[in-house]
Order: sequence, then C-alpha cells, then structure tokens
Amino acid sequence: MKKLNRRNFIKGSLAGGIAAATAAGKAKNASAAGGDFGGYPDSMGVLVDLTKCVGCRTCEAACNKEQGLPEPDKPFDDYSVFDEHRHGGLPRRTTEKAYTVVNRYKVEGREHPLFRKIQCNHCNEPACLTSCFVNAYTKTPEGAVIYNPKVCVGCRTCMIACPFYVPAYSYSSPINPVVKKCIMCYDTRLKFGRPPACVESCPQGVMTFGKRKNLIALAHEKIEGNPGKYVDHLYGEHEVGGTSWMYLSDVPFEEIGFDTHLGKEPIISYVKDFLAIVPMVLCIWPALFTGFHLLSTRKQANQEESPKA
Amino acid sequence: MGFKKEKRLGLAAFIAMAAPLVLPISAKGEVFELSSLANLYEGVSFDHDMHIEAVENNCSLCHHHTAGTPPEDQTCIPCHKNSPEAESPACSSCHLIEPFSSTNLSISEKNPLRHHKVKPGLKAAFHLNCMGCHQETGGPVGCQDCHAMTEKGEKFYNTGQYTPKAGNETAHH
Amino acid sequence: MKKLIAEGFQPIDTLIKPNTNNPWSWKDKLFLGLTPQEYMKQLFRNPFNWILAIIYAVGIPILVGRFVFGLGWATHSSYDYPWGLFLGWGLFVMVPLSASGFMMGTTVELFGRKDFKPIERLGLLNGLLGYFFAVIFLQVDLGQPWRLVYPMFVSLGPAAVLFLVAWHVATYLSVQVAELVPAASELMGWVKPKKFIKSIVLGLTIAGIILSTLHQGALGALFTYAPGKVHPLWYSAAFQWFHFFCSSIFGGLSMLIVVSTLSKWFLQWRCDANFTKNLDKITLGIAKGCSMALITYLVIKLVALAHDNEWGYLLSGWGQLYIFEITAGVILPLVFFTMAIRTNRAGLARFAAFTAVFGIALNRLNTALITFNWQLYQEIPHWREVVIAITVYATYIVVYRAVLYRLPILYTWQGDSK
Repeated sequence: MKKLNRRNFIKGSLAGGIAAATAAGKAKNASAAGGDFGGYPDSMGVLVDLTKCVGCRTCEAACNKEQGLPEPDKPFDDYSVFDEHRHGGLPRRTTEKAYTVVNRYKVEGREHPLFRKIQCNHCNEPACLTSCFVNAYTKTPEGAVIYNPKVCVGCRTCMIACPFYVPAYSYSSPINPVVKKCIMCYDTRLKFGRPPACVESCPQGVMTFGKRKNLIALAHEKIEGNPGKYVDHLYGEHEVGGTSWMYLSDVPFEEIGFDTHLGKEPIISYVKDFLAIVPMVLCIWPALFTGFHLLSTRKQANQEESPKA
Repeated sequence: MGFKKEKRLGLAAFIAMAAPLVLPISAKGEVFELSSLANLYEGVSFDHDMHIEAVENNCSLCHHHTAGTPPEDQTCIPCHKNSPEAESPACSSCHLIEPFSSTNLSISEKNPLRHHKVKPGLKAAFHLNCMGCHQETGGPVGCQDCHAMTEKGEKFYNTGQYTPKAGNETAHH
Repeated sequence: MKKLIAEGFQPIDTLIKPNTNNPWSWKDKLFLGLTPQEYMKQLFRNPFNWILAIIYAVGIPILVGRFVFGLGWATHSSYDYPWGLFLGWGLFVMVPLSASGFMMGTTVELFGRKDFKPIERLGLLNGLLGYFFAVIFLQVDLGQPWRLVYPMFVSLGPAAVLFLVAWHVATYLSVQVAELVPAASELMGWVKPKKFIKSIVLGLTIAGIILSTLHQGALGALFTYAPGKVHPLWYSAAFQWFHFFCSSIFGGLSMLIVVSTLSKWFLQWRCDANFTKNLDKITLGIAKGCSMALITYLVIKLVALAHDNEWGYLLSGWGQLYIFEITAGVILPLVFFTMAIRTNRAGLARFAAFTAVFGIALNRLNTALITFNWQLYQEIPHWREVVIAITVYATYIVVYRAVLYRLPILYTWQGDSK
C-alpha cells in the first residue's frame, strides 16, 4: 500500500475532487445553467393584440361570471367607467372584485382611442411567488400563477413585490381577508386544456391562446408581416424574466400605461445577493466572533489564571 | 320525344331544390340567420344581397379567396391569386366556433401554412370583418345595432333588469 | 414616586424584608413594597398617566374596531399601498432602534468590556421590548394574525426574505428573554435559571449577533423586491441590506442613550449610584460606537449613490428630502457625537442621540412610506391608523416603565438580604 504521506493525500484529494466536479457538471441539467428559469417548456400563454380591442368589456363580464365575483358597481356595458380615476389621476386597476379591467387611452393621431386590458401577467418567475413566505403561490406547468388562500397570512408582501401592481386584497373582510387576482381560470378551464373565459368571450379576437413559445413566434411574424402597423416590441417576452401574457400594440408602450423600465431580470435577481449573504453570515459569524472574544478577553483570562503581580 | 309528365315534374323539382347548392349564392332576397353563436345576443339577420351590392360584387372583401376571387391582402396573393371557389365560402367552414380547444390548438399548431396558423375564431371573424368595414363605411357598429341582447346577456353584463342597485359600491382602496 | 422617596420610602431591592426574616411576597414585589392604596395614589398623581388615560380612552375602541371591522376601516392600506404606519413605524422604525440588545450583549460579554455593565441590562430590555412590540404591531397589521405561525409549521416559503425575518425575530426574542432571565431570577429568587443562563451567555450573544445582522439586513432586503417602487436615492440593489444593518447599530445605541437619559430624568428614584455615577462615562463610550457606525453608514450611502450613478436625483424635490435626511439624521449626530467625545460632554452626546433616533425614523419612514410609489401618488395614513399606532406605542412605554420599576435593571439587586 502506498505510504499515505501529505503529498499523496493532497494529490488524491485533488484528483478525486476534479473527478467529482466533472461528473457533477456533466450530470447537471444544461437548462439550469446560469440560473434562468424561462418558464415551463409547454407553458400556455396569451397574446393580446391591442390594435383590435374596442373596449366592449365583455372580458370583464366573462371573468366576473367565471370566477364568481361579486356584482360590479356599474353594468359591464356602462362605458362611463373609462372616465373613472383613482388616487393620483390614475386609471382603473384590478381590485378585489375585478380580476381584469379595460382602460381607455386617447392617443394623438390615432382615429380611435386605444383600449388596454390589464390582468395578472403570469410571469415565468413571479415576484409574488418569490416574496411569499408561506409558499402560497405556485407557477403551474400550464403557465398560470395560482394562489392558495388557505395559507395566506395577509402580510401583503406580494403586493409590494408585483411590478405590475396586480394583486388586490379583500381589505373589507375582517374574518378572511385574502389576496385576489386572476388565476388564468386554472381551476375551471386551464387545467382541462381550455382557454380562460376572457379569451373565449372576446368578440374581436384580441387574445390568442396557445403555447407561449408559439405565441412569441406568431407575434414576431405579425410584426414583420405588417410593417409599420405594430411597435417593434413584444411586451412581456423578456420583461422581468418573461411573462405568459404578452402584448402587441400600435402605440408606444410607455404612452399607454406600460412600465417600460422594468428590465429583463426577474425580481428575484435583485434579492439573490442578500439571500447569499444569509448562509455566509451563519457560517462565518460564529467563528469570527468567538475569535474576537478569545482575542479581546486574553488579558482577563491571563489575570484569572495567574492572579499575581 | 318527351319525358312522362311525372318525370318532368320530378326533374323540375329536383333542379329547383338542388339549384341553391350548385348555383352561386346570389339569389335575390337571401337573408341568412347567423345564429350558431347566439347566446348572450340573438342571432343576426344578415342581408347578404344588400352586402353584395354594397361591395359592388367584390366578394373577396369578405370572403378572402374562397368565393373564387383574388384576395385583397397582398400577403395572400402569391398562393391564392387564382384560387377557385371553395367548397363552401361560408365563414363557418373555416372559422371555428372553438378555436382554442386543445384539439383545435394541436391541429393549428401543426398547420404548415404560415398564414393559416392562427385564424380568428368564428365570433372574432364576424366582428373583425363586419365591424372593420362598418367603421369605414358608416354601417352599424353598436352591439345591439346588429343583434339584440338576450336575457342571458343582461344577466352576464349586469345590465337591464340586472343592473346593480345603487348604494352597494365597495369602498375604494 | 419622588414624593414618597423624599419621605424616606425605600423600594424593594432585596428578597427579604429588611430587619425581618420574611421574604417579600409577589404582591409586595408588584407594588414595590407599597400598599396597593399607596401605589394607586402615586399612580394618579403622575401627570404622564393622565395623558395615557386619554390615549387609551380614544385608542382602545379603535384598536378593537380594527379587528371587528377589518383593515379597510382602520387604515388607508390599499392595493397600491399595502403597507402603512403599523409596519412603517412599528416594524421598520422600532426594530433598528431595538438593536441595543445585541450591541450591549456583544460589548460586555463578547468583548469583555465590563465597564459597560451598568447599562447592559437596560440595553437588553430595550431590545426585548422593542422586538416584542414590533411583533404586536405586526399582529395588528396582518390580515390573518392568527396564522402567524404558518411560515414556521404549516406552509414554508424558505426563499422569501420575510421567512428569514419571521424565524429570526422568533428566535431572537427567545434569546433576548433568556438574556434577561438573570434579572428576573434576582427579583424572583430563582437560583438555577440564572446560573444556567450565565453558563451559555457567550453562545446566546453570538446567536444574537448572527440573528440581528441577518434580520436587520433582511428588513432592508424586503425593499429589493420592489426596485422601481422605492425612490432610487433610498434604494440600492447591492447595499440595501447593509444600509439597514449599519444604521441599526447606531440606531440601537442612540436609542439606548435616549432611554437612559429618560430614565435619568424621570426615574431618578429607581436608578442606583452604580448607574448614575457611571452613566456619563458610559454615554460617551456608546457615543464612540455610534460615531463609528455613523461615518461608515454615511460613506456607504454615498458609495451606493455612486454605484448606481444617482447623483442627478439630488437636484429634484426628492433629492432635497434626501439631503435633509442625511444632514439632520446622519451628519448632525456624527458631528455632535464627535464634539461630545472630544470635549467630554455627555449632554451633547445625548442631544446627538436624539437626532440620530430622529434620523433613523425618518430614513425608515422615507423608504417604507414616503418615497414608496414615488412615481404614483402620495398616500397618508388614516387617522385611525395614527391613533392605533400611538396606543400600541403607549402600551410599549407602559410596559417598559412597569419593568423598569421592578426588575433590577436600573438598580443593583442587593442580594438576599441587607
């Protein structure tokens, strides 16, 4: 048997370590490299073509009925809602009673106003999901981001985190307040391969339902095939890591209420640096501070050991 | 030489019945009841004749290339410049009632024809085609201008007899 | 109490009644050795208690109302602004100001600086009560407070920063309770608990440092979930956690100086010679720590501006608020602390501490409430929110005072008998 001296031990460890690392590297799933998720491969999505929307609000009514939401304040064929503004002069947003709303934007030079449908964008790496400390959100393989009200504590961090200001909270309920948002009709439709109620109800075919990757290709074909008609950008393709609901528009997105400064990184990328510090502190601090203690109390310890001049 | 009287009668009747199926549908006084999608609204009484006059016989304005005329959209010309009349130029023969069912999606996904990959569903096709033109020509554009709302529709839209009562609004948050 | 002391009354500081063999009963300990009637009399004489009475008369019904009618009734919490004063003040301001627990524990037990021992327990108490009431504020704010233990035992979401905060605050509260067991043991006459805690005090202290570093930083990291929503001058993807951690160091120490000053002014009768004699020297010692943390914080704040090239924002209205916060809340205390140390003036150090506490409060309120949603619109808390916050904070003060009256924090326990 070879003598196990220090040199051989180091050589052996290095060799073994490299072998293990290579094996692990080969076994590692290629798609996990770089830490990007990019969505489930067969995730469904919806492409929203804002050039077609006429603001009829049938989608709002369909959602209301499908999700069993309470009666609205005004009928769904009442278009005075487009003149409603909330705090700060902002247009309507999703609420505990309305998982989707349509807003109107007057655009200079455009013959008709532009109408924009807002709902949860079902991000690939949702901020709400990453911020929830009771794991109440799930990104389903079908693409929907769903929510489990049975574990929700009501901390409302998801509302802080969502860059699209989507989740609402039933503040009016003292006994069982929960988050309210679009779930892409997962329980009643998506699970069974059917499109969400709003998509099916739209008389103008504003929304196209299909596999997300196919919709991306389709959207770019539309842009190319209709030169000058669409703004050359598919909103949601890359924003905050990519979303399942994507938008095409003939008006620049920043003019119709879209946040165009979101960047391509999913929200969790902004938090990851801190999350890495957690294990660092847990591992380093004990030794570090024990060291400080030993170093700074040496004099004391010496005095205690030999209490004489 | 002549056919027997009965046979002549039978032949005439046969021709009369078969005529609509083989002759171009441009018989005078044709009004179609488009009611396959009737649910929230009643079906539409569509005056086909009036529309033929309105488009000055240019069938492709509505029927793309399926009426035997070259399509308006330049993207389609390379393949459909000389397309014959389709077996049925009716909208519902190409535009599906449920375009996004998993069956239909898997079919359209595999469709090698780039421009046919996503056809609007039947409801969307009607509205896009009809209203697109109506907006330009001053035709009816309101929902109830073409089809009256049913009671089911009133319930769906929380309107008419189902209008929400005042005073129940949720507080603004 | 001052009148009673002037008349020769001596509050309890031993286990056995002087000149007897009878131990004080728990009732005696509760009333400090006074009869219940005497105790009530001095209670009514105290003008601060009249203010408290008014606060509670208005506050208790509204606090109850929050739970009966829901958050929508009691707050301006909205879909755009989910967090209000309960978290903004009760959690984000109170937690850094309660960092004195781990600071004092580290100073005395870890680094062996026994000269800070007279104020160590006050630091620990400040920490414990601050965190405890932060949790109370949290319970008032949560939509379903009865589900508080869900992230621990029912449904865990370990990737979330708040998960870390929840676990750490729970663990840290236990550590702080343990660290105060010796004081309670003296009052109650327990022997074993005090010995046990003394044997593990180093471990508890290190655990306290680890937990505090992480959760103070985590409270800052919570805002990294909303990069576009907090104004860039207050937001830094890279340094947010460090801003909050570093400011908690001087926040906790300054709050300790503030509390010791208030004790000196209003609880003079309870402070013994050991505390009062050494207080000025200790205050200046703490001031040295504060000034180190302040200069570090100031530099890192400026580095963060440079890192993301945010200098342009300083010229806006928000920039003016930022400059005010840095000047009044960081530079001013830094200058005064330094001057106080160099000229040996504890009074100036105390003033600096008050401004530092103001600076922390302003910074947290700016980050969490004022500059949050800076691109949307401003939201102000509901008056009911303000009332409830004042009520809970008043309770914090009441409990603080009750503990200081009784436990050997400001005074030294004289042992079993005199």
